[in-house]
Amino acid sequence: MTQVAPTPAPTTTATAEDSVRIVSDFFDAYRRRDVETMADMCTDNADFSYIPFEVWAKQRVMRGDGKVRTIGKVIWSGLINAFPNLGNDIHSIDGNNNGDVVVACDITGTQQSAWAFIAPQGRSIVAPHLFILHVNPEGLIDSIRAYWDNAYVCRALGHLEVD
Amino acid sequence: MTVSPRQTVEAFLTGFRHRDVDAALSTVADSAQVTVFPLDVVQQGKAELSAVLEAIASAFPDLHLTVRSVIELGQVVVVELKIEGTQATDFLGAINQEKHLDIDSAWRFTVTGEEITGTEVYWCQNQLLRRLAVKRTDQVAIV
Repeated sequence: MTQVAPTPAPTTTATAEDSVRIVSDFFDAYRRRDVETMADMCTDNADFSYIPFEVWAKQRVMRGDGKVRTIGKVIWSGLINAFPNLGNDIHSIDGNNNGDVVVACDITGTQQSAWAFIAPQGRSIVAPHLFILHVNPEGLIDSIRAYWDNAYVCRALGHLEVD
Repeated sequence: MTVSPRQTVEAFLTGFRHRDVDAALSTVADSAQVTVFPLDVVQQGKAELSAVLEAIASAFPDLHLTVRSVIELGQVVVVELKIEGTQATDFLGAINQEKHLDIDSAWRFTVTGEEITGTEVYWCQNQLLRRLAVKRTDQVAIV
């Protein structure tokens, strides 16, 4: 696989344009399913929260909250394993001079292996997502949060149980 | 005095917080495009937004909104909003079991002038149904 180097970190506070470009590069890496580059574009301690991701077990609830290098990489790798053609189509990307970047996009893919409780049936998803990211003054992403409707994803994959 | 996009959105949220749908909608343009992904409302209008707000406000009389963040991006304002309340009537087909709802949502507003001209709303309907003790998404009324 061709490796594309992450965007060089600017030496001064990132402008809105810088932040949007960095996040665009991040989604390019996601489209290439290049998890290592995605992680390299984040700070070592970058926060990660996939809000709809929760699994209710008998005694605790497991959530998609933690750090990019622990929870994030695991979820991304698991998704790519289950959806080998995982992609994203960006509809809008907005940034400000504080380093905030918001991406509205569709996450796409065809399920080829188990994902959570869902057995593969070769079905596809085009799932609207909203990503809220923050780029620090060094040009690294230090926070990623995402919202989507997991009920839509489950229905599209043929899984109608809530849990 | 000029009203900023953030202030327009905050006025919408204040109306929503007080379950005053008319006050919330007073900040929304008649031609606004409204998408509420979990409810399959896609590129609809102000009337559909009104119906969503009315449904929430009437089903959860102790509605409590907590704003996690407000992000200004020029004309675009993104709000992370926790919606909480105790179900008191049927809601979107789910029968009332007096369950407590707490759902994290994200609202992406587009503001033109002093009016909201577009909004896209994201939350996970599975999380919502789980909290209302619904077991299957194709049988919302059966518990």
